[in-house]
Amino acid sequence: MPLEGKLALVTGGGRGIGKAIGLKLASQGADVIVNFFRHRDAALETAKEIEALGVKAEIIRANVGDAAKIDEMFDTIDSKFGRLDIFINNAASGVGRPVLELDSKAWEWTMDINARALLLCTQRAARLMEGRGGKVVSISSLGSSFVLPNYTIVGVSKAALEALTRYLAIELAAKNVCVNTVAASAVATDALKFYFKEGLAKDSHYVTPAGRMVTPEDVANVVAFLCSEEAFMIRGQIIVVDGGTSVGLFAAAGKGGE
Amino acid sequence: MTIEEQIRDIVARITRVDKSIITRESTFKDFKADSLDVVQALVAVEELFDIEIPDEVAQKFQNFGDFVSYVESKVPQTEKV
Repeated sequence: MPLEGKLALVTGGGRGIGKAIGLKLASQGADVIVNFFRHRDAALETAKEIEALGVKAEIIRANVGDAAKIDEMFDTIDSKFGRLDIFINNAASGVGRPVLELDSKAWEWTMDINARALLLCTQRAARLMEGRGGKVVSISSLGSSFVLPNYTIVGVSKAALEALTRYLAIELAAKNVCVNTVAASAVATDALKFYFKEGLAKDSHYVTPAGRMVTPEDVANVVAFLCSEEAFMIRGQIIVVDGGTSVGLFAAAGKGGE
Repeated sequence: MTIEEQIRDIVARITRVDKSIITRESTFKDFKADSLDVVQALVAVEELFDIEIPDEVAQKFQNFGDFVSYVESKVPQTEKV
């Protein structure tokens, strides 16, 4: 199996896209540390499912929006394993409000979890990858490049994450650490249900030119590829998984090809 | 300081209200708190008392008193001074 013997950390790994990524990496042989913040039961269930695939799983609680908690998490990983091969920066949060209703508290909360965590976690992860190389993959969204309703802070935080991906990729290239990001259109998860509840979006917006919504597994498949040696020469890229949505913005009316 | 007083301090700090106006009957809406305020209050209380408050439980809190009672039920007696 391509990831046999590798150790992966997935932030926000108990549910949704993070869970699918953990399971995918495990199916390819990686042991997985499932980070969670407020949903221990989901993390425990995910760890159980990962172990059922024949690899080891651990859960670890940390709010990645809190620098001290990030340090505690990596101190624990360092003392317990002394290494890390794959870091998946998946945990995300956000405040959905119109621009004129945003405040600095909402800004800091979202930016700390969605963007700063990539910097602080990768700084610590890179040390655990020293001398062995590694893979860092983040999860972004189309909201970094396109305007979605009430998505300002999250979109901006994802744009920061994508820019940081490029800088990290170059600075860590010499350490044999590959850094990339996967940007998805709306994915069918509990987080999306939250947005429905908050009235930010309608599900009809999310049927892609490929004929269905993006699933967590669609994202996980690309993440797993980026974690493989076959993706060695892909550095600092934002790989879009959206069923063609972003390139078909102007084609909807004409149904090109028909 | 009792559990109730500690939670009152947290809620007052996050919602930026004077803690003297927070009673057991108060609701987050009374303080014009938004969803981020609620999440931050839950997180701060979880971290202070090293407990977890599932969203499904938190959504059923009718007022500050329900919040306090739930935390009291989860914190070991010795810490309830």
